[in-house]
Amino acid sequence: MTRYLVALLAGLSSIATFALQVAAQTQGPLRIEITEGVIEPLTFAVPDFVPDGADPNGYGAQLARVISADLSGTGLFREVPASAYISQVTDFGAPVQYADWKAINAQALIVGGVSVSGNNLTVRFRIYDVFSGAEMDNGLQFSGSLDGWRRMAHKVADAVYSRITGEGAYFDSRVVFVSESGPKDDRRKRLAIMDYDGANVQYLTDSSAIVLAPRFSPTGDRILYTSYESGFPRIYVLDVGRVQRRVLDQQDATMSFAPRFAPDGNTVVYSLTQGGNTDIYTLNLASGNRTRLTSAPSIETAPSFSPDGSKIVFESDRSGSQQLYVMSSAGGEAQRISFGQGRYGTPVWSPRDDLIAFTKQNKGRFHIGVMRTDGSEERLLTASFLDEGPTWAPNGRVIMFARESQGAAGRAALYSVDITGRNLKPVRTPDGASDPAWSPLQN
Amino acid sequence: MQTGTYISGVAHIGLVAWMIFGGTFRSEPLPFEVQEVSVISSAEFAALVAPQAAPDITPEPAALPLPDAAPETPEISATPDPVPAPETPPQTAEPAAPAPQPVTPDPLAPLAEGTDVTPEAPEPTIDTAALPDVPRRQPRPADRVAPTPIAPPPPDARPDEVVQQETAPSPDEADAPAEDAATAPEEAGTEIATEANEPPEEVLTTRVTRSPRPLSRPAQPTPGPTQTAEPAPASEPEPEQAAEAEADPVTGSQDAVAAALAEALGGASDPAPAPAGPPLSQGEKDALRVSVSRCWNVGSLSSAALNTTVVVTVAMNQDATPVVPSIEMLSSDGGDATAARQAFEAARRAIIRCGASGFDLPADKYASWRDIEMTFNPERMRIK
Repeated sequence: MTRYLVALLAGLSSIATFALQVAAQTQGPLRIEITEGVIEPLTFAVPDFVPDGADPNGYGAQLARVISADLSGTGLFREVPASAYISQVTDFGAPVQYADWKAINAQALIVGGVSVSGNNLTVRFRIYDVFSGAEMDNGLQFSGSLDGWRRMAHKVADAVYSRITGEGAYFDSRVVFVSESGPKDDRRKRLAIMDYDGANVQYLTDSSAIVLAPRFSPTGDRILYTSYESGFPRIYVLDVGRVQRRVLDQQDATMSFAPRFAPDGNTVVYSLTQGGNTDIYTLNLASGNRTRLTSAPSIETAPSFSPDGSKIVFESDRSGSQQLYVMSSAGGEAQRISFGQGRYGTPVWSPRDDLIAFTKQNKGRFHIGVMRTDGSEERLLTASFLDEGPTWAPNGRVIMFARESQGAAGRAALYSVDITGRNLKPVRTPDGASDPAWSPLQN
Repeated sequence: MQTGTYISGVAHIGLVAWMIFGGTFRSEPLPFEVQEVSVISSAEFAALVAPQAAPDITPEPAALPLPDAAPETPEISATPDPVPAPETPPQTAEPAAPAPQPVTPDPLAPLAEGTDVTPEAPEPTIDTAALPDVPRRQPRPADRVAPTPIAPPPPDARPDEVVQQETAPSPDEADAPAEDAATAPEEAGTEIATEANEPPEEVLTTRVTRSPRPLSRPAQPTPGPTQTAEPAPASEPEPEQAAEAEADPVTGSQDAVAAALAEALGGASDPAPAPAGPPLSQGEKDALRVSVSRCWNVGSLSSAALNTTVVVTVAMNQDATPVVPSIEMLSSDGGDATAARQAFEAARRAIIRCGASGFDLPADKYASWRDIEMTFNPERMRIK
């Protein structure tokens, strides 16, 4: 009896052991799913670029500072200060001491070299993923004149930014805006252009006439703007390189304003007020042919093309309050896309074709917001006494706008904000500034 | 036959005669007592049983008697009455309990508006009252327990199912009582020793001496430094098992069942390549998930990368650090190649950064986490 019982136990144990072995052999890797992470800047180190020869003007250090400012200014990166460095980069081609950079928690390392030859400046750099212990793609090299060193620094920063984040570049871009000076009741306005970070400000017009709403052409070589030079608002087109301008669509007893280029650069869409009614028109720059797109008795203005040029978003009060509408670029029936409380205006289509930025006024407050091109998923990014006039960065990730403070001493200034609503920061300008328009990425 | 009939007939006749003429033989009647009673008249009887008259009901209740001196309502004065000092009970020479330390509250900040004169609060006195003599609660009566256990009754003797031959001590055993006296008495043992502790020989050979544990997985051909640390394949120890079986006089017996059981449970002599152990518990998995999450920084990812889910595989060292070259992207979903690369690099940084000092993983379950497949799903981290 006992022997049979023992035999039965032995058999069951053998089967169980075999099953465990089979289970162990068929067991795959441990699988886990991670759905929660952290949102914090990525730490990086950018030592001064190593000069290859004489560098009397310290371009190596200046390049590193501009690159660092570009990356840190996005809010997505945080620089490890040079005082924390354990090892110094003295040779562009020297192997990277990853352990030293790991120790100071620098996740990305930018090592560069600079060489000056006459009026020519050559910048080369490499990006390293410190914790992976490998270089991220191959290094790059830029060459240019000495006075263009900031652009080269922006180019390097653009490459680093795009390589790490996957977003498009935008540092090597410019912004045209209306520079404002004087008291609030006697503002003097003139067109100005600057680097995206506020450097290299240049004035394009004088302050003899009020100017409004400048807009870059898709290639960045021309600027449309509205001027009251003739007493009535007129649209002008300005050649940035030669600083020459000409009036567009000059008709008597009309007011034209809110111009914007079509993506092809050959057509301009704008608002024209005639006989007390404001509608949207397009004008072919080559032929001068004008096409009326809307014919409602209400006010239609602030048109903006979609990146592919097939649609136009604009604001209209045809429903009784100021709302956003989308219509074909050839005109026709428009579809309302904003249905929230308050008034919507100044819509701008994102260069990524995913969002529309707008100004919203609700309950005495102004907001800069974004929504899907069909009007869904509206998000307000800012709130203040007066925020208006959003413009997209070339990569569609950052929005710049004008903010005016309250009171008689209120001053207009430019701000930028990430589309996530984070990293709201002012853009430094020598004077007050409004109506910003971001240029495309420079070549 | 007739004799019996006669006897029965005579007996019945006699019985009938006794029933008829039995009164002749009756005894005297039982004696009884006679008690004297008095005779009363009907009037006296009516007076005795007449009901009592009900009390008169007055329409108004009688006024309650007032107390001698009604307490006067105390007047509320503008200033609070001085707090009477608490009566100090008569001090006892030896207080029953130590007096508690007085708690002095922090002074409040002066009020901005309020009464000018604040009543002086009497100084707190240290209560030194002795605890009243409260009769101690008597424990509930309980059954008294004898200091020594009562010897259990002898078990009932039951006949054994197996008939055994009667044994008789041999003369040799009877001559050696000194050896029995040298052994310790049973009462001195530290644990109860029954006959189960002395199994027969064949049971001893099949007794389970250790719990079976799942064997580790066979070594994988994945490259990496862990290969050098991996022990020999599991097939090598078989000769050792055979040698052990031959060397062990017990297992070398002819009991095939015991040998099979020993082989089935022979994990003890199997040099496993790594601690196998049970699979990771849910808590251990969660701990690993949290550890990686702390370093998964999606703040610098593009919008497209935030829409991309990547599955990353990583081989782990026994010290719970990741084998960096083994980190690979198994698959991606939701984005293009560029977005997938950004998402993978963020995931790789998370694994390397937080795994640099080793994840908190149980070493005895290395086989369970030697290879990890992590799915990084940024759905909750997307821009809302």
